[in-house]
Amino acid sequence: MDTYLLKKTDLPRWVELIQKSYDVFAPSRVHGEVFFSPISFPPDLDLLTGTATLPYLPPKDFVFPQAEELFSFFQQGEQVKLEVPKISGRGTVVLGIRSCDISGISWMDKFYQENFKDFYYTRRRENLTFISIACNQPVKNCFCVCCEGGPFLDPEHNEFDIQLVDLKENYLVESKSEKGKKLIALAPELFLQSTPSAKEIRDQLEEKSRRSFLTEPTSYMSFAIRRITENSVPPEVWTELGERCFDDGGCTFVCPCCSCFGVAYLSEGGKGCHYRFWDSCDYSGFTREVSGHNPRAEKGERFKRRFYHKLSYQYVKRDGRIGCVGCGRCITACPGEVGMPAVVERIRNAKAQRNYQSGKPEESLG
Amino acid sequence: MIKNIPTICSFCSNGCGMFVRTKGEEALGVLPLINHPVSQGRLCHRGWNRFQNLRSVNRINRPLLRDGSQAKEVGWEEAFRKIKEKLTGIVSSYGPQAIGIVGSPWLTNEDNYLTSSFARHVLSTDNVDATYRFGGASALIALERTFSGALGSLGSIPSLNESPAILLLGHESFRDFSPVGSRIVQAFLKGSKVILAESCSRRTEHFYAHQLTESLADLSFALQEKGAIPDDVWDSLAQGGMGLVFVADQVSPASNLNSLLNVLLQRLPAQNKTLNLLTLSRSPNLRGAWDMGIKPGKQGLNLHEMLDATSKIKGLLVFADDLLAHLPSSAMVEKLKKLEFLLVADRFVTKTSQIAHCVLPIPLLAEGDGTMTNCEGRVQMLRPALPKRGESRNLLEALGDIAGRLGKALAYRSGLEVRGAISAQIPAYQKISSAPESDSLSGILLSSPKPNGADSSAIQKPKISEGKFVLIIPNTLNAWNRNQMILESPVLNIEYPSDRLGIRMNPQDARDLKLRMGEKVKINSERGEVQAPIELDNTVPSMTLVLPSHFIDMVESVAGNGDVDPETKSLFYPNLYVSIEKI
Repeated sequence: MDTYLLKKTDLPRWVELIQKSYDVFAPSRVHGEVFFSPISFPPDLDLLTGTATLPYLPPKDFVFPQAEELFSFFQQGEQVKLEVPKISGRGTVVLGIRSCDISGISWMDKFYQENFKDFYYTRRRENLTFISIACNQPVKNCFCVCCEGGPFLDPEHNEFDIQLVDLKENYLVESKSEKGKKLIALAPELFLQSTPSAKEIRDQLEEKSRRSFLTEPTSYMSFAIRRITENSVPPEVWTELGERCFDDGGCTFVCPCCSCFGVAYLSEGGKGCHYRFWDSCDYSGFTREVSGHNPRAEKGERFKRRFYHKLSYQYVKRDGRIGCVGCGRCITACPGEVGMPAVVERIRNAKAQRNYQSGKPEESLG
Repeated sequence: MIKNIPTICSFCSNGCGMFVRTKGEEALGVLPLINHPVSQGRLCHRGWNRFQNLRSVNRINRPLLRDGSQAKEVGWEEAFRKIKEKLTGIVSSYGPQAIGIVGSPWLTNEDNYLTSSFARHVLSTDNVDATYRFGGASALIALERTFSGALGSLGSIPSLNESPAILLLGHESFRDFSPVGSRIVQAFLKGSKVILAESCSRRTEHFYAHQLTESLADLSFALQEKGAIPDDVWDSLAQGGMGLVFVADQVSPASNLNSLLNVLLQRLPAQNKTLNLLTLSRSPNLRGAWDMGIKPGKQGLNLHEMLDATSKIKGLLVFADDLLAHLPSSAMVEKLKKLEFLLVADRFVTKTSQIAHCVLPIPLLAEGDGTMTNCEGRVQMLRPALPKRGESRNLLEALGDIAGRLGKALAYRSGLEVRGAISAQIPAYQKISSAPESDSLSGILLSSPKPNGADSSAIQKPKISEGKFVLIIPNTLNAWNRNQMILESPVLNIEYPSDRLGIRMNPQDARDLKLRMGEKVKINSERGEVQAPIELDNTVPSMTLVLPSHFIDMVESVAGNGDVDPETKSLFYPNLYVSIEKI
């Protein structure tokens, strides 16, 4: 990994140079709400500081859009022709993404690229470079510290391209991947040699950030992971949580780690297209079979399944991490107030109940 | 380039704020507005998947004229010629009162105002109504009686979570309307008593402090005197600022709601006589269409009367509604099919558009602008997120052209002018074209009216017939699986499968009668009888049968012609005592 210092006043210059070869997206306000949008000049620098700023639409939309045409078809004489839509070959740089969302993209990479490489995902992903900003200051719904999702990315353990750390006047620049190095090489004169004191300040900021999370969203993840893995959450807790679920799918759509999609055809007069769209395991139709039978007809069962996938050790072992990065978007999205932290807390509160796996009273585990 | 356009959802009466995300002519997705007072970053599954119906290819793209069973695409001019010929023909043979106009809760306030104005000033007919006559109008009439006319704002979604108690009529008024349900959950977490009154389902859920089993018809009787319900529930329901949430589409007759409102208002303390009243609907602009005058004039017929077999109506102009999905009787369907002229102006190809003599394409709510009034009385601006598809024209243009062909003129040239007329003509809407916040994303809340003094009409004691089953025929004409916007969305189409034909009953009752799932039974009431398969449903209470009202043939066989609500002058089906026998 290479480490540099970049003066904040030089950031616009660097972005200008990047723009010559890439499309650059950064957080900006659209009617008062934050989106990753094509960067404007001057950039909204207040969204590029050490304070966490999470666009509500998760950046998975860059690699896995809410709706994406897979191919179109049309009749030509006797034949039916298929066409895969082209995407711009120009690279895209996303500036100002946060550590939790980078962790989410890494999770997506695993799902869509390990073993079988999804063509549509991969062609978008290969064009993408991320410049993330570490969070010196978490905000209201942040709990990444419980999920190893942030607040800083660890150069030794996390995959990333470039991480910026806000040191007031400067950014400390940590460049890890080849894609990241390419961006630095566009303007090497802007990148000054880092100093030992900068590294020290970085570590202090990370430590300080870790201590400034609020009590409410931070969660006893390990407790929930154990209870879910050993299937010892009392069924009535799932029923209760299921009753609070509105089947709206919001949590899955805004989750940086949720990767499920559905497909549909649109066709009229001999031409049409096949497209995929975000789907949700909250929905009763998600598991309903053609016969009408639904193995998870009850909401509590669907709810349990969702959190089993997010937190059970079976998946932690397979995927290397839990399926939650602690961004807190599900807290905003959930009409039933059962986002991840509330669920983990409810599971923790249920500890005095019977251990359903062993059939023994639970006190000894408490 | 992707655009994020802030606008209002068009599925239900809550009016959630959302971004529609588009690229050129393609809808890519939606995202709830975090700073919107109703949605606050949350949507239901309809809202989250709204972009799918914006991609639908089942659209009406050009005007259509039907000749026998064949419909052919024509240009607007040819369609106008046909419309002129038919309308002048009907007027000269039978007079203008032989024409009826159907406005719609799926149209903006401006389009409804125009439609009403077109009927009255261009066609000179008083026969104006909408399908909410069969579900929705009763609730609005009851509210008008209680609040002396103009409705204004009767409740607030954002402050429902501060209600000390909330009475929900029917479990569907909760999760089916997510911003309201969300505030109910928040109220529950703060310690508010949430009380459900539900006669069709016994599903207990942890946030209900109590479940009353009375149907709306019997609820006011139970709330009238202490003793019929537990004391703590009785006390909870006498607190100022309490919430009352119900689905307007399911209320009938009007007197049921009136009695309930009277009983509740009488019991509120003198220092705080407020109720947070949320009149939900499965259509987005029930309130607005009603306020804009989509109801019969003094001499006019309502939709129930227009579609009576003996009515003088020969021509019907239907705007943005799939009438066939929302009619409660087969006689009305027959009448509709026999009209000399049926014009449908709509967005999607629907069952009704397929029998119309002339079909005109109009833009989706996401393709135009205008305002809608949500269940709180919040008037919000829609913004066009997508360009108009095909040759569709907005109603202002289309009705203006028809008026011109008939030698008349509409008084308005733009939506802004229509909005100006609304604010000048409808007192409650005075602020909508002038107030600085009229263009804000949160819209304008109409002012709140005060309730009348208590109404002294007597409350009927419920009839009980021992040993018989009670047959409930809930109003499902507006059920989501009959909504074209749902049918056009691949995900929602799966989420709302069509109902299986059958009478729902409790599995234990079925065991007692030695009946199995799907087995045919004979149901006898004093009005008729029907043979139908049973569907087992463990949420149905014992000694209760439930038959959704949209199975109209079965409903008519067992319940005859139904009753007519004296206030809405429209059909409804009261609960019936029936006997059931195995065939």
